[in-house]
Amino acid sequence: MRNLIQFLKKFRDFLIFFILQVFVLTLFFNSKDYHRSKMTNTSSSIIGWFVEKKYNIDKHFSLSDANEKLLDANAKLKAQQPESFYLLQGDIYYVNDTLKKEQFQYIPATVINSSSNKRNNYFTLNKGSAQGVEVGMGVISDDGVIGIIADVSHHYSIVMTVLTEKSSTNVKLLKNNEYWFLTWDGLDSDFAQIDDVKRDIPIEIGDDVVTRGGGTQFPEGIPVGTIDEIISKDGEQTMGLNIKLNVNYNAVYHVYVIKNMMKDEQLNLESPYLEDE
Amino acid sequence: MNNAWVKYGSYFVLIVLIQGLVVNNIEMSIYVNPMIYPVMIIMLPFEFNILLTMLVAFVLGISVDAFSNTFGLNASAAMVIGYLRPTVLNIIKPRDGYDPVLLPSIHDMGKLWFLAYATVLIFIHHLWFFIIEVLRFDQIGQILLKTLFSLTFSLFLIMLFQYIFYKPSKK
Repeated sequence: MRNLIQFLKKFRDFLIFFILQVFVLTLFFNSKDYHRSKMTNTSSSIIGWFVEKKYNIDKHFSLSDANEKLLDANAKLKAQQPESFYLLQGDIYYVNDTLKKEQFQYIPATVINSSSNKRNNYFTLNKGSAQGVEVGMGVISDDGVIGIIADVSHHYSIVMTVLTEKSSTNVKLLKNNEYWFLTWDGLDSDFAQIDDVKRDIPIEIGDDVVTRGGGTQFPEGIPVGTIDEIISKDGEQTMGLNIKLNVNYNAVYHVYVIKNMMKDEQLNLESPYLEDE
Repeated sequence: MNNAWVKYGSYFVLIVLIQGLVVNNIEMSIYVNPMIYPVMIIMLPFEFNILLTMLVAFVLGISVDAFSNTFGLNASAAMVIGYLRPTVLNIIKPRDGYDPVLLPSIHDMGKLWFLAYATVLIFIHHLWFFIIEVLRFDQIGQILLKTLFSLTFSLFLIMLFQYIFYKPSKK
């Protein structure tokens, strides 16, 4: 009898352990898809407050670095678009043009929390739904693609970066528009991978890879990286590519959230033809 | 009793903040991902109820998850060592049992005992953490490397934490 009670007690402990484990692991595995993740994270207000306080201290150590980058970006923009001018409305910058219809607007934001050495790396931004950030928007920096907004609160948002398990960015080769999906194997934050590349495409090391722009998140031609290594195994029909990423994910300070004005139009048109994923 | 709750409550807040705001920002390499928060579970009293230990581990893990955007990964790993802690304590029990006045700390139990105890638990914690995080059998080498390197740094941080914040228990 005593043994039985002892056993039942052990079994109860294990059962509670098991149920809790199932609960947290479900949360964790669901979090990998950005449209299914719902949990407290650094976008919630209490944690966000702490993280922002920490950032307010941290930022002084990286100010000169960040300023230099901004200066670079400003110089580049000035050289590129002398004729277009920027109108300031609230916190959104947009190009005024009568010939072309405006499609993308950019919401500037600052990275207040980040990681780059985990299997799934997320950034926290200091802009949220109050500034017009929505789940599913693309995020870029001056150097290239950062990721996709996975969660927003009133004043903060979470970016699922390219450096996550489930991220697959639509990219293409700049010189001949061949397109693929970019994924990350979790081994090195400087390199991402492309699989299933056909062998008859003329590819050279050093070729530029940019966003394809077919989805609703990114405009076409945002830089992603350059081809660093071509992995071809004997007897396989396809090759793999190692892409040296343009963005140094250890040092991202200022980013832009991309608002696509024609997203709903495109999705409405596409939805009858594309299966829901 | 009240005193103990206040003491462990403040340790809890302190440890979560240190982990979330300081240790999470140590990003030396993809192989080094040190964690200090398991010290909370390790330092609970010897006879602490297993269900309460798991509850502490769960709340602790979820709090750390909120800071590191890991959505339940830390909670899972913390609960594993919360569940296994009584077993480990039982295996390495001294011949005449544990003195209920003492705590499982360096000061009370000695460097060697503590190192063995902490290494076993942190190793289980890190191994579980990285297996769940990576979840690919072809990267088992990577998982082991991550576990070993992170283990070294975590142990160092945990011992440092004890020397700074804990005093020997009065006999």
